[in-house]
Amino acid sequence: MFPLLLHFKIRQSGHRAFGFYFPVILIWIILAALLIALLPFVVLASLITWRRGPGRMLLLVYPMMVSVLWHLSGLHIETKDAENEVLIDFQ
Amino acid sequence: MNEEKRKVLDLLAQGKITVEEAGKLLSALDDSSAETVTDAGGKRIWKYLRVQVEPGPGSEHGDKVNIRVPMKLIRAGLKFAAFIPQQAQGQVKEALREKGLNIDLAKITPQDLEDLVSNLDDMTVEVDGRDKVRIFCE
Repeated sequence: MFPLLLHFKIRQSGHRAFGFYFPVILIWIILAALLIALLPFVVLASLITWRRGPGRMLLLVYPMMVSVLWHLSGLHIETKDAENEVLIDFQ
Repeated sequence: MNEEKRKVLDLLAQGKITVEEAGKLLSALDDSSAETVTDAGGKRIWKYLRVQVEPGPGSEHGDKVNIRVPMKLIRAGLKFAAFIPQQAQGQVKEALREKGLNIDLAKITPQDLEDLVSNLDDMTVEVDGRDKVRIFCE
């Protein structure tokens, strides 16, 4: 299941914690627009470099990137030291 | 022993729960673990790789780290290793070999990852007698 929300929180000593929930779907939309806009250039680069090998890999970038983004759900990173706290959580 | 069972035993050792309560909790955990996902061969399928760093007894105000990475994300990310330039791959391979790891990043397969994870189980390392690093799968 692809992630729906990104929970980000940061706290520094002496300051209030700053955090927000961000709808990941917005990242998906922006990224999709970027990938579609770059697709002609990627296809052209792939055709040019096809014989040398990198061409095939270039075409695989798109499904690989989608796969990585799709499986971000559940990623949880939390660090805390004497002065700072950072939380990144994909839900 | 998994994280939840360890916590129950810690609570019992601290006297915060009775033996009967600990027994009930452990039974409940056993029941829930019976619902763990296994593949066709009966091998348990791990969902997350966890890394926890906790300060040791001598450094209560040390760094704390809690990381949970979905295994599917690791498998998806391994495919990007193929994009590492050949020259860099050689350097990385040489650096890993110097550390005693004979791993070719470009040739790591999902099966290699499964084998590594299945042998990982639960690993706890104490660093310099201060921080405790625990790496396990759940």
